[in-house]
Amino acid sequence: MASTRDIRRRIKSVKNTRQITKAMELVAASKMKKAQQAALASRPYAQLLAKILVALAPNTSEQLHPFLVRRTVKTRGILLITSDKGLCGPLNANLFKIVAEIKTPAKFYSVGRKGTQFLARTKRDLIADFPVQDRAPFSEVKVAIDFVVKQYLEGVIDTIEIVYPRFKNTLVQEPVIRPVLPLDNLRQFIESIQRHAGAVAEEEINSQRLFHFEPSAESVLNALLPFYVHREIYQFVLSTRASEHSARMVAMKTAKDNATKLVGELTLEYNKARQAAITQEILEIAASSFSSA
Amino acid sequence: MALTLEIVTPEARVYSGPIDTVVIPTVMGEIGILPGHIPLITQMTEGELRVTKDGKVQILVVGTGFAQIDGDKVSVLAEPAIALEKIDEHAVETALQRAQDALKAKDALEPAEIERLESVVRFSVAQLTVKRRGR
Repeated sequence: MASTRDIRRRIKSVKNTRQITKAMELVAASKMKKAQQAALASRPYAQLLAKILVALAPNTSEQLHPFLVRRTVKTRGILLITSDKGLCGPLNANLFKIVAEIKTPAKFYSVGRKGTQFLARTKRDLIADFPVQDRAPFSEVKVAIDFVVKQYLEGVIDTIEIVYPRFKNTLVQEPVIRPVLPLDNLRQFIESIQRHAGAVAEEEINSQRLFHFEPSAESVLNALLPFYVHREIYQFVLSTRASEHSARMVAMKTAKDNATKLVGELTLEYNKARQAAITQEILEIAASSFSSA
Repeated sequence: MALTLEIVTPEARVYSGPIDTVVIPTVMGEIGILPGHIPLITQMTEGELRVTKDGKVQILVVGTGFAQIDGDKVSVLAEPAIALEKIDEHAVETALQRAQDALKAKDALEPAEIERLESVVRFSVAQLTVKRRGR
């Protein structure tokens, strides 16, 4: 049996760890609240955007905008969105699993340090990585989006797909891969964003009114599509942040609970050892007093 | 039948409720919306958006975006939008100054950045004009 001093030392170190994980849990919890709010606040916006796209759909054709043109896919473009820091459970590892399954030729772009490290380690064709602060200001994300979209328009890549952890709720984050460009099948794509944006009322989908456009349908489309792509990808980044902090909070809570359990077990063991030592001592004293009597 | 107005930005739903009329700043000039307007989708530009309800006028300053008029529903998608009472003149002035200073070194900037800064300037100027006229 370990000596009492060893056990005491272990208890102390586990308590220290618990203190740290507890602090990290609290920090993650407060950050999570903000990130979740940011991710959810833009939902009405996304819904309205979807509605306008629905209204535009009858007026679109493939030739109208490069985003709508279908191409033969030679090289896929994958934008991987991860967290900068670790200690957030299986969040990033789950994303890497998706990336590992991509066997077709692809070029990679990364937002988040963990993803960059992974792509470098697995020797993927990493074109560029972009640092984005924790609170993810739009201006920083925009740099990444503009770069990827430019590569797409130049024909370096033939698709833009985003790998990111979709925020469902605090406990569940789902790693997904979502194609963003080309928007080849606009109708199907609109249906998907309607599902994504949540409940756009049924009657609104059915009412295919003929809209008047100012200045013109083309002009609105030209302004709306890049705008939409920016919004969409930015939304993914916000979702990633919300997922990251949620996952970290849960991971830290588990770590804290484990530490508490461990401290309990160690304390029990310590008390047993202490009691054993005391009993031993008493026995010795009793034995010596008997023998001398 | 009254109109329903909804103004949303990426951060929040700024306005939602029944109104009498609304004037929207579009790229082709201001348009007034009354009940029974034809279905319309239009591009918005920086400017003031005037909401009239029960004879009272409320003014909001909006950035670029889109507006959709569908039957008696007016939906405005703006980035950003701010109510007149909430405009902080001092903060706007500093923002304007910063943007203008940054624009002085135009050659060093990327076109997208210039566009963004000019949008900031237009939005700031629109806020200041509206705010100061009120006195």
